[in-house]
Amino acid sequence: MKKYRFLEKFIFISLSLPVTALILCFLWILVSIGVEGVKSLSWKFLITSVMDGGIFESIVGTLYMLGGAVTIATPIGVATAVYLAEYAKGGKIARIIIQAIHNIAGIPSIIFGLFGYTFFCTFLGFGISLLSGWLTLACMILPIIVSGSYEAISMVPLSFKKAAIALGASKLRVIRDVVIPTAAPGIATSIILGISRVAGETAAILFTSCVYLTNGLPSNPLQPVMTLTYNLFGMLVATPRDSLGDAFAMALVLLMIVIVLNTFAYFMRIYYRRRWNI
Amino acid sequence: MGIISNPPSLLNIIDFMKKKGAIIEIVLAIVSLSSVLILVLIVVFVFNEALPALLFLGPRLILGGKWAPYYEEYGALPLILGSLLVVLGSALIAVPLGVLSAIFLTEYLPRSLGEPLRSIIELLGTIPSIIYGFLGMIFIAPVISNLFEVPLGKTALTGSIVLSIMIVPTIVSISSEVIASVPKEYKMAALALGATKWQCIKSVILPTAMPGIFASILLALGRAIGETIAVLMVCGCVPIIPSPPWNYLSPVHTLTSAIALDMGEVAIGSLHYHVLFGLGVILMLITFTVNTIADILLKKAPRSVIRV
Repeated sequence: MKKYRFLEKFIFISLSLPVTALILCFLWILVSIGVEGVKSLSWKFLITSVMDGGIFESIVGTLYMLGGAVTIATPIGVATAVYLAEYAKGGKIARIIIQAIHNIAGIPSIIFGLFGYTFFCTFLGFGISLLSGWLTLACMILPIIVSGSYEAISMVPLSFKKAAIALGASKLRVIRDVVIPTAAPGIATSIILGISRVAGETAAILFTSCVYLTNGLPSNPLQPVMTLTYNLFGMLVATPRDSLGDAFAMALVLLMIVIVLNTFAYFMRIYYRRRWNI
Repeated sequence: MGIISNPPSLLNIIDFMKKKGAIIEIVLAIVSLSSVLILVLIVVFVFNEALPALLFLGPRLILGGKWAPYYEEYGALPLILGSLLVVLGSALIAVPLGVLSAIFLTEYLPRSLGEPLRSIIELLGTIPSIIYGFLGMIFIAPVISNLFEVPLGKTALTGSIVLSIMIVPTIVSISSEVIASVPKEYKMAALALGATKWQCIKSVILPTAMPGIFASILLALGRAIGETIAVLMVCGCVPIIPSPPWNYLSPVHTLTSAIALDMGEVAIGSLHYHVLFGLGVILMLITFTVNTIADILLKKAPRSVIRV
């Protein structure tokens, strides 16, 4: 008995080590980038043009990029989720669509880059542009939005729908006035996760929509753009590292965007699950 | 009363609503099928651009031992081996770390503590790969360089370490869902027979959850093979077959980093350009296979864990 008690304690301690290591690793990433980044981060750095050593164009470029990609992916993603959850339930078409979504989710981002280059840039003739980047990234985040929205929509209690149907609402009306509003926080969560994925993406936009130095912001979607990730990549890989401080500051901005978005999404999901007692 | 005294118009309204519903359903179906279209387009277009290289080089593309685009040598073997080396190394670190963490979070901690900790670990998976590459370059490479006396410190080992942190969240996240989905009755039966907690985990929970845990590992490997930017920044990008092939202190080039690095300066339509798409096809075949096996395994989980 004593032997077992000792063994159990030993196992408890040794199993707690990997978790501790991972949490420490996360904190280390935050601290190492935070401490160095704060030193060279200033409002001036954020609003100064790239030409003068700031990152203004990169920040606005990232906002353009995620705004466009999400605007394209959201209607398609939510429509797919509604169709899967409310119309095609488990049918053959639904299975094919789910399989396709799974497979898209598993494709590496560099392949999206290759695809975007041949299809959007060359075949459709959009060139290396913001538009090509939007479309490429929209394809990439579609699975995130579909699976998140699907989960939210299928969590809507049946009683809500029954009540609406009993009042004489048509199926479309039930979906529009009951299902979607109730599932809205979950759908929003999936969109936020999509935004965060776009904000941190480099490989897929590497040769579809970015240039290292732009003269000002793109004035229309057919012009190339500069993003935080690409700017950082260029600073670290293409040019010799003369100013590591700027790289740290940029990494900090990027890290903050991604962590704030994901934390927000986490709390929204918790709120949502509590509400339905799941 | 007006409606009842005029029944045909009511029927018309119902008829109209039915038609409208049918039209909406068709529209939704068409929009939903766009994901199938996207998948088909990706496969067709990448394969189409790769075709000239596949036809011209044939098996030499995969079996050729020398990758030197400037001398028109397009053997992807060093790249494939490089990818495998880095991915296996990252798995050796990430699998024990991830699976043990998942067990601890779900079985040993109360849900109120386990869930937030798991979310923090999941945050590791959302950090952009460029930041991992940056940290690997600045902090890990110098350590490797000093420790093993390799210049620059950009080696397969560095890549494995960086990659392992990136893929551990996938293992933790899916494994803990699978472990949590093992029916409570199994556990209670084992405990009622006098098993200790660890015995119960070892002989009841883990065997039941094993297919799902394997699936989580495979999904993590699929992610690792496709990882580009971080690997490009810390592995050195030297297209050689390490000697011996398991030499983790040698710099390596991978499938993904070769595509990312060369795509910017390649002449469109040249053999080199088509070869890069050929590498893309190899990469897609690997990830499709790995993900499909993972999908099949996940369906064997006690409760369907991933719904869509």
